Amino acid sequence: MSNKFIVSPSPHVFGKDTTSKLMRDVLIALLPAFVVTVVIYGMQALVLTGVAVVSCVLFEYLIQKFLLKGSNTINDYSAILTGVLLAFNLPIGIPIWMVVLGSLVSIGIAKMSFGGLGRNPFNPALVGRVFLLLSFPVQMTMFDAPDMVRDALYGATDAMSGATPLAYVKDALKNGCSVSEIMPNISYQNMLLGIKSGSFGEIGALALILGFVYLLVRKVITWHIPLFIVGSMTLFTGALWFFNPEQYMDPIFHILTGGVLLGAIFMATDYVTSPMSKRGMMIYGVGIGVITILIRVWGAYPEGISFAILIMNAVVPILNKYVKPARFGVSK
Amino acid sequence: MKSSLKNMVLTLLIITLVSSTAVGLVYLITEGPIAEAKGNKTTGALSKVLPEGDITNDPTADKQIVSLDDMEIIVYPARNADGVVGYAVESSTKKGFSGTFKLMVGFNSDMEIVNIEVLQHAETPGLGSKMGDPDNVLLVSFKGKSPANMKLSVKKDGGDVDAITASTITSVAYIDAVKRAYDAVLSLNDGGLK
Amino acid sequence: MGKLQTLTKGIIKENPSFVLLLGMCPMLGTTSSAINGLSMGIATLFVLTLSNIAISLIKDFIPAKVRIPSFIVVIASFVTVVQLCMEAFVPELYATLGVFIPLIVVNCIILGRAEAFASKNNVVDSALDGIGMGLGFTMALVLLGTVREALGAGSFFGYKFIEGDGILLFVLAPGAFIALGYLLVIFNKLTAKFK
Repeated sequence: MSNKFIVSPSPHVFGKDTTSKLMRDVLIALLPAFVVTVVIYGMQALVLTGVAVVSCVLFEYLIQKFLLKGSNTINDYSAILTGVLLAFNLPIGIPIWMVVLGSLVSIGIAKMSFGGLGRNPFNPALVGRVFLLLSFPVQMTMFDAPDMVRDALYGATDAMSGATPLAYVKDALKNGCSVSEIMPNISYQNMLLGIKSGSFGEIGALALILGFVYLLVRKVITWHIPLFIVGSMTLFTGALWFFNPEQYMDPIFHILTGGVLLGAIFMATDYVTSPMSKRGMMIYGVGIGVITILIRVWGAYPEGISFAILIMNAVVPILNKYVKPARFGVSK
Repeated sequence: MKSSLKNMVLTLLIITLVSSTAVGLVYLITEGPIAEAKGNKTTGALSKVLPEGDITNDPTADKQIVSLDDMEIIVYPARNADGVVGYAVESSTKKGFSGTFKLMVGFNSDMEIVNIEVLQHAETPGLGSKMGDPDNVLLVSFKGKSPANMKLSVKKDGGDVDAITASTITSVAYIDAVKRAYDAVLSLNDGGLK
Repeated sequence: MGKLQTLTKGIIKENPSFVLLLGMCPMLGTTSSAINGLSMGIATLFVLTLSNIAISLIKDFIPAKVRIPSFIVVIASFVTVVQLCMEAFVPELYATLGVFIPLIVVNCIILGRAEAFASKNNVVDSALDGIGMGLGFTMALVLLGTVREALGAGSFFGYKFIEGDGILLFVLAPGAFIALGYLLVIFNKLTAKFK
């Protein structure tokens, strides 16, 4: 230990949770979603996830050893988790070298440049994803629907092939279609099971919710952030939908599509980049929900959750400063 | 120097006077070249989109302004002794991904599209901006064809125009601008058929 | 301070972009390609040198309380001259740099040198200081522009060395910040031993 004296406010109680144990639990919680992905997309999903994980771990090791010259940190599973989350945020058809580049950005720029785990202000996997999205918009928005999805969803018409439900709806609304004309092409049941096109880890809603339950049971995360994100999205889109159901999609659509569940459960709750107090979490969650809908409904991109989480990541230090947890032993 | 009121007023007066005189002089010198540079831009674009061959008139002098949906479209007719040989149309659309962009569309006497130049745009670099590249898919879809014989929408929506990959909004806007250019010529008194 | 040192300090030791961190707005805004960076650098170099000379000439006649407005008027005149000349003689360049040329007026480097150097030194030193600082700024802009253009478009001064597009992000605004950050790290690491 380089510094023997750890200065922090009371209470000074050590839990038995270690970083690696928490990270391992998150990885286990991601398993159901991973299984769904592999069933639907086949081996390619396995290969891409593998590449992302290996390159994240490798970059972390190399940077720690040769640039920062610090002790090895790859055993805490955090680089593995970053790799898995990054891969889950990519479309299936992406070239391998882009996955490697995304890993380099996630680990090199978003994490190690700030000093490694615990010091990064932004979620590394999301920085990697947004970097790739802005750099290679063509490859990052080509969602090749696997055969199984194509058959189940689109049948004879291929109006939706390749587009995510969000992109399809945004395009259709912009071209003057009304919601009731779009709805026959959309099936909530398929969305729950993961039969839709999208980044490959965000497709199975039920599997992601299963992971959420596991994390809650293991007390790895609390329910606050995911629930406030989903809740604020429901209220916001619900209000829009209530006033004009022909122009705005209903809340269920917004919650089941895109990366909302993956983002709300696994990425917005990242310890390092989310607020510490319950009230902070509330503001943070509502911020993410509202910004996501603003981007989805009025912005240029069909999906906004990754931008929303990154924007709110930037607010976290302010939240931690001004919205402090109640002091131990003090009642209001 | 002492900061008395008289000193300060006087200094500022002299400095602003000298500066504005100098700027005025430079303006007089550069006025001509600036107007010329602006003119060159239009005539350069005209020569790129109009059909080859003799043009005896000055299209910029004969320009006609048509107003469609509250936006001005400028039609530059090119003539020689036999009549109208083509039109260059400066058209614009508000439907772009990042707002308005301007195209110069050239038609020959059969109302077939000769060439299209992008004059001004703010589309995303590497995506929508590809509409300005030589021989991009949009331009190729239009070149040598008359909008009268085309379904003016992207292939995804059942039309005849290839869209730029991942830039459907830009492509749709481009088609819109071309269509408005065509409509503007048709709305002229001579019907665009001479 | 010798004449040579007055000239060269702006290039490395007091580099306005990498050490003093002045003029970040044009630095980030105009460097989407190396040639744009170079043009902006030269325009700034020109204005900086002329304004330094003019200000050191008139410094004794300006009352202290109105020196800032006086400097700004002088600088703004030179910027307008540069702008008009560019519009007249290099219209293509003016079309790409247009917005940023008037912004040279509020570039901190220029007012900063006027206030910190030209208003206290003689004409020759002020001119040398302007040239040195301008060169340092130009160098930084070209460097950042080259890096961004190479990564973002796969070209060097417009000459393509790869097929297709590069990493688009580097041509866009966030890429400017990322590239600048890493250039700062490298520059300070390399020059640390000279200090």
